[in-house]
Amino acid sequence: MKKALAILMAVLLVGAFIGMAQVSNPNTMIEETIGTIATLDPAWGYDTASGEAMWQVYDNLIQYDGPSIKKFLPMLSTNVPSAKDGTILDNGKTYIFHIRQGVYFHNGDILTPEDVVYSFERTLIFDRAGGPSWMLAEPMLPMINGAYVDSIEQWATKLAGVKSYSDLFIKGTRTPKNAKYKQALIDTFKLVSKVFEIKGNDVIIHLPHPYPPLLFILAHGANWGAIIDKKWAVANGAWPGTADTWWKYHNPTREKDPLYSIMNGTGPFVLERWTKGREIVFKRFDEYWAGPAKIEYAVIKRINEFTTRKLDLVRGNADMIYVPIQYINQVKGIKGIDVTPGKGFPTLTIINMFFNWTIASKGNPYIGSGKLDGNGIPPDFFANLDVRKAFEYLFPYKAFIDQVNLGHAITPNGAIPKGMLGYNPKVPPTYHQDLAKAAEYFKKAYNGELWKKGFKFTIVYNSGNTQRQTACEMVRAFARKINPKFIVNVKSELWASFLDDYLAGKLPMFSLGWLADYPDPYDFAQPYYSSTGAYGSTLGAAYVKWAKVHMDPLVNASMKTTDPQKRAAIYEKLNVLAYDNALFLWLDQPYAVHVQRSWVKGWYYNAMRPGVDFYSLSK
Amino acid sequence: MPVTLLGLTFLIFFFTSFLSPYQLVSAYVTSPRELQAGNVDKIIEKYGLNQNFIFRYGRWIDGLVHGNFGWSLSLNEPVSKVLEQRFPATIELTIYAIIPVIFIGIWLGVVAASHHNGVIDQVLRVVALLGYSVPAFVLGLLLLFILYGVLGWLPPGRMDQWAQMIYYAKSFHHYTGIATLDALLNGRIWVFLDILKHLIDPVLTLSFLSIAGLLRITRSSMLESLGQDYIRTARAKGLSERVVVNKHAKRNALIPATTVAGLMFIGMLGGVIITETIFNYPGIGSFAAQAAEQFDYAGVLGVAVVFGIVTVIGNLIVDISYAIIDPRVRVG
Repeated sequence: MKKALAILMAVLLVGAFIGMAQVSNPNTMIEETIGTIATLDPAWGYDTASGEAMWQVYDNLIQYDGPSIKKFLPMLSTNVPSAKDGTILDNGKTYIFHIRQGVYFHNGDILTPEDVVYSFERTLIFDRAGGPSWMLAEPMLPMINGAYVDSIEQWATKLAGVKSYSDLFIKGTRTPKNAKYKQALIDTFKLVSKVFEIKGNDVIIHLPHPYPPLLFILAHGANWGAIIDKKWAVANGAWPGTADTWWKYHNPTREKDPLYSIMNGTGPFVLERWTKGREIVFKRFDEYWAGPAKIEYAVIKRINEFTTRKLDLVRGNADMIYVPIQYINQVKGIKGIDVTPGKGFPTLTIINMFFNWTIASKGNPYIGSGKLDGNGIPPDFFANLDVRKAFEYLFPYKAFIDQVNLGHAITPNGAIPKGMLGYNPKVPPTYHQDLAKAAEYFKKAYNGELWKKGFKFTIVYNSGNTQRQTACEMVRAFARKINPKFIVNVKSELWASFLDDYLAGKLPMFSLGWLADYPDPYDFAQPYYSSTGAYGSTLGAAYVKWAKVHMDPLVNASMKTTDPQKRAAIYEKLNVLAYDNALFLWLDQPYAVHVQRSWVKGWYYNAMRPGVDFYSLSK
Repeated sequence: MPVTLLGLTFLIFFFTSFLSPYQLVSAYVTSPRELQAGNVDKIIEKYGLNQNFIFRYGRWIDGLVHGNFGWSLSLNEPVSKVLEQRFPATIELTIYAIIPVIFIGIWLGVVAASHHNGVIDQVLRVVALLGYSVPAFVLGLLLLFILYGVLGWLPPGRMDQWAQMIYYAKSFHHYTGIATLDALLNGRIWVFLDILKHLIDPVLTLSFLSIAGLLRITRSSMLESLGQDYIRTARAKGLSERVVVNKHAKRNALIPATTVAGLMFIGMLGGVIITETIFNYPGIGSFAAQAAEQFDYAGVLGVAVVFGIVTVIGNLIVDISYAIIDPRVRVG
């Protein structure tokens, strides 16, 4: 009996291992990851998980050339506009796209230039709060008082002469209060519609001002530039394309967006089904203009547990999985699994610590007494250059990369990531840990008072982020090492509380990061350095005042020229200013790490691609 | 029941009243880049997050009355639809889990009591202790590692990819939402077996603790019955030990065990959160975990309402069945 059991076990084990070696589901490619797809509507999506789903189904006018983030290839446009061939004119204000003919949408409709124009116009009028429409609004809507316009609402309020967009409507409705306001709304749309011209089979974009990153914003991977089928969209309840109704379709709630769970693109895959929060399944589109995909089905599963993902990969039930960097060694060295070394693939992500120059002091528990008395810090603590420099020299950058990122990252030298225009690895230099110098700056700050009295404040990180937690702990440990009177408390907060304190300006020092919207340095320089940037504007009144004088002119100048060399020089200058003034404590720019079964062929890295390009893959 | 549910939902809503609009907005904003250009205030206004909680509660109740549980921010669809899709999966898992609990738990309890203080009793007491001591997440991960990671037998999820292709095909009719039953009704025996295979691990995890509990209750109840005068009388009459145990002692001992089993079923529904999360099982438990994690309060409220309804109805059934099993309750 025992012998029989032993034989049975052996057979089962051998069977299990044979199963591991065979290619599982040869026509289906399965990716297991953690992101929750928020929407399938290109005008709404502003997250990587949604972007990955849209990548498979929707095409854009142009696409990146394989792994390059600087070269383009045609896609639904048969040309990549350039000044050389006369398809970029008027000093970068006119772009001509020749629309590909004979392209089918998944429902059988044929692509027309009207679809292209409708797609862009819809993104502009859709303009959901917190969404991606600003990327089309900045280049396509005229400036107001010399500043880019991020939302169509700004023009509507200006033309109507009201204070806020909601003033245009009867309370609780989307009905304009009077004929004048209605006309202002219609006139606003005229600003949108005049950007686009259809001439035969060409779509011509007339920008009100040059905007160097435009092609990046329209390239595949940027779902806000994806081309949808106008006829299908309207039939499903989306904006009908008329000037006198657009505000009814503007900034909808999620539940009122008719395209949030349906898709109809020209891409290589058709949406088969979307089981929300679990998986999305795509089926090959055999009529794809560039030829059908090699695999029949593509599946993206959301599996939160790393152990489950790993076991699925080992068993061959997943072809590729997301592996957080701290677990990377757990998948290395397993037969049949490839871990693509990340060193060649810098992500376009910058993680850093922020100094709040004017901390909101009212009811703020993070700054102790709020005075320089050893039991707190004054609200303008980080407006002091010596203090900021001391913290820059205090941080153990190399240990952070080696221990926390396991070597899969580099220390940035500014907001511009490696791989992007304007990045120069030597200028400015990166800060390095030098405790003697840190002590020197601390002694210098506040004429020696700080060194004598010490300080006490709290660094906050959003809970669950172990990398940021370790960075905070490192600051705490080395501050205390320099002077026992330097007390830094570390506190974790749920995202909700973190956001609450962040928006209230209460956090003295905190860690966040930035992921590229498009691979142009402006996308990093503006949010970090500008006084109106997503981060710059939240670092306190003192920073805003300083940035207006020192950073804004340069950030603005970088968009006034299309000459890459001139632009690169400006971004380098901004980075040098940031270094000299110790504006941010740059933690890391991570490398991408890709983990897959060895049988998966055709994978390549592109920093701007959200997730996997199933079209390139085979088994 | 409505009063209980009203109280429960009011309490949950009341807790959200302690949150500022900026905290509530965190469910809509996942990255700082969504905060550009005063977007936060627009989002707060759009979703009415600055309205007082009584007003929001009233609006939610009004929706509930009309079958609208709100919008799940974690799954991006109406909560009612999520519950409709996921509740049958959880019921399926719980039904499969309660079957071994009742049969094995009661049987082991009877065996332990029949061998009071003997070797079998001691072994079973250790097993019961283990059942109480091993947390579900430890047992679940162990089972996943051994039965899937090492042996490759029992994968997580609800079914394999090939079975999903059949299960979600247009020709497949979803009569009940209970996947095994639907597979049988569609005549898809291999799909049925595949779903069954995926149920083994979560069922084992979910039932292990409850088996231990029922074993202990049945054992002590049996011991109490075996010490009664009528048992002594039965033995004095010369009845065999099998008849004494099975016919006389067990019937009375089963009364509390049955009641507890009913409550265990309800308890299991609450316990599925960990099990479903570990095994990536698409039920209401994993939804509850995801909703809580992503601050999806409409989702959390929806789950609370469903659990509340099930608990109230379950208790009612237990009370009725108790009266049926034990005539003294009716007399009393």
